[in-house]
Amino acid sequence: MVAPTQASESNPSFMLSHSTRVSSLEKLTDEINFSCVLSASRKFSFEERLVPTLRSSRDVRVRVIATGLCGSDIHYWQHGRIGKYIVESPIVLGHESAGIVEECGTDVRHLAVGDRVALEPGIGCNTCETCRNGRYNLCETMRFAATPPYDGTLSTFYVLPEECCFKLPEHISLREGALVEPLSIAVHCCGQAGNLQGRSVVVFGAGPIGLLCCAVSRAFGAAVVAVVDVVDSRLEFAQRFGANETYKMDSRTPESNAERLLSKANLAGGADVVIDATGAEPCINCGVSALKRGGIFVQAGLGNPRIAFPIGDICDKEATLKGSFRYGPGDYKLAIQLLASNRVRLGDLITHEFSFLQTEDAFTNVANKVGIKTVIYGPGADRRVAENT
Amino acid sequence: MQNPSIVLYGPGSAKLEDKPVPEIVDGHDVIVRIAFVGVCGSDVHFWNHGGIGKHVDLTAGIVMGHEASGTISSIGPAVTCVSVGDRVAIEPGVPCRFCSYCRSGSYHLCKDMRFAAAPGPPDTQGTLCKYFKVAEDFVYKVGDEMSLEETVLVEPTSVAVHAVKLADVRAGETVVVMGSGTIGLLCAAVARAFGAYRIILVDILDTKLEFAKLFLGCETFKPSTTASAEENASSLRSSLNLSSTCIDTVIEASGAAASIETGINVLRPGGKYVQTGMGKPKIEFPIGMISEKELMVRGCFRYGAGDYELAVSLLTRAIINVKPLISSTTRFEEATEAWKKTARGEGIKNLIRGVDD
Repeated sequence: MVAPTQASESNPSFMLSHSTRVSSLEKLTDEINFSCVLSASRKFSFEERLVPTLRSSRDVRVRVIATGLCGSDIHYWQHGRIGKYIVESPIVLGHESAGIVEECGTDVRHLAVGDRVALEPGIGCNTCETCRNGRYNLCETMRFAATPPYDGTLSTFYVLPEECCFKLPEHISLREGALVEPLSIAVHCCGQAGNLQGRSVVVFGAGPIGLLCCAVSRAFGAAVVAVVDVVDSRLEFAQRFGANETYKMDSRTPESNAERLLSKANLAGGADVVIDATGAEPCINCGVSALKRGGIFVQAGLGNPRIAFPIGDICDKEATLKGSFRYGPGDYKLAIQLLASNRVRLGDLITHEFSFLQTEDAFTNVANKVGIKTVIYGPGADRRVAENT
Repeated sequence: MQNPSIVLYGPGSAKLEDKPVPEIVDGHDVIVRIAFVGVCGSDVHFWNHGGIGKHVDLTAGIVMGHEASGTISSIGPAVTCVSVGDRVAIEPGVPCRFCSYCRSGSYHLCKDMRFAAAPGPPDTQGTLCKYFKVAEDFVYKVGDEMSLEETVLVEPTSVAVHAVKLADVRAGETVVVMGSGTIGLLCAAVARAFGAYRIILVDILDTKLEFAKLFLGCETFKPSTTASAEENASSLRSSLNLSSTCIDTVIEASGAAASIETGINVLRPGGKYVQTGMGKPKIEFPIGMISEKELMVRGCFRYGAGDYELAVSLLTRAIINVKPLISSTTRFEEATEAWKKTARGEGIKNLIRGVDD
């Protein structure tokens, strides 16, 4: 076998031969962790890295088959940082993945080689007060995939503890398994909203998170879910995803948009719950305005860290505003159960697929806001593999 | 005059007038002879601007006052909770009783709430008068050991109780209260009663912090008016030896944008924040930090089911002593002087004495 060499943008012939080698699983060697690496100067390249070893006896090594892309991945590529997290040295991106277990540590009890799993890509310390109180998503030393300095999942293999792997139901392919991560985000958001039985919910933003929040809200018993966006096609799609009502926001004031939204959705007095999956100031203002007295507003989206915000309304309405950050105890498990029971169906959320070597094209696709969810197959994998394994 | 009342007609314009003596209409009504009325920041706002949101009708005017104590002067035929002569605190907002908020224990959010001195329509007259009518379940008897001056403080104590309950303060917590006015001081006192272990009061005025230390024996912090919210938060923590995971709860009782932002910054991940102070309705707000730290931010509106009962209990059992908060008493006829005094920042709680016989 050819000794591993560093791939680089200046070595196109190597990349060509590599692409023929990775065209099917059978030809893959177990001795390379083929990775897509973002440099500190924000350029992508492919590297042959060492296959990661298990760090503890409870770890498993997963062959990554499908990875969805998220706004944060694109943001690191385009801007090199999100807040205090800066890409200072090369990093592998990607964190929404599903794959096949290929190696189990000696103390692994619930997984076996060959299991198809969705990955929960964050490891808390499990020893600080925050972790011990059950809020491990807020651990100050969280090691989260694709958040500098920790590598993500756009590689052949990824190692993580068994409690971070969740077996996929039989009828959910590895391709759809890449959606379990954003689905878990939605499960966590809807959990922050409290009891949703019989309630009215307005979701701002009909991207993957907003759409999944809509579907999960319905699954949790919401009587009415109204989805708001500015793009007609996204609103149409939302209707196929559980939205009872849709509303197209325009350039009127947020308060005026709220009035019209409530009128269209027949929500006199306001919505019980508002979930913002945009992070955009006008949406957040509109959402607070559309909230009923005593209502709950969940902030899921990340946008400008500081915005003009109607704190007066929050007081007058005695509203509750809750931040929602990634996912915590029970969220992945519930996401899997929602899929297993068909209370949430993933439908056509995945609109674009790319092979591993086309990773940069995939990133460009998402940056240009094309489609809804873009998936990249792992090295050696393709749609056939992702759907039939 | 039969029922002398202080009527506000607009910013800076108030008159002492006679109004009709209220009559018992509903069998559960009581009439209270008003003893004392407290002055609140909202009264000052009405005096300066003519209203908050809804403004006073310039021709009809509105009787001011909502923090009041008195004695029962007459009762309706169905009244069983109080008798003539009983000394009471008044909860000055009567809801409709039958809407979904009222029926689910959130009567304070009733859309048809009739709150004293709130312009409508319909207008609801306030408590700066001789005789005030209210439903029997909205007056609370206080024992003889409590003066009627102290009884006025039941209303702001109820605001504090409501805030601390919303904040879900539990035993052992570290609580920061922003703003050391009447409400801030009472929030801190109630938080202590609820078992908070460390309580830190924050204000930009040294005099307020000194009073807080004497009144509560709490810790204090004075932020810099030129530093950023992040810097002030960091200073607060380091000066009090608190790590970034220590501060469980922040109760914001000033309404000032800088203070709000500092409060959000100071909280541990997963922390709780209650907004009870009212300032500018829209401010620059660190929404990103709300998400990142998964904070719970709750608006606080007046007081609801059980708050007055608990406030009366805390004062009656002397768990909280409100006497030091009473700074002055002004004659009924000079009510506007009490508002102006409060507007100038003089005193903590200024009272207006009821109509003399």
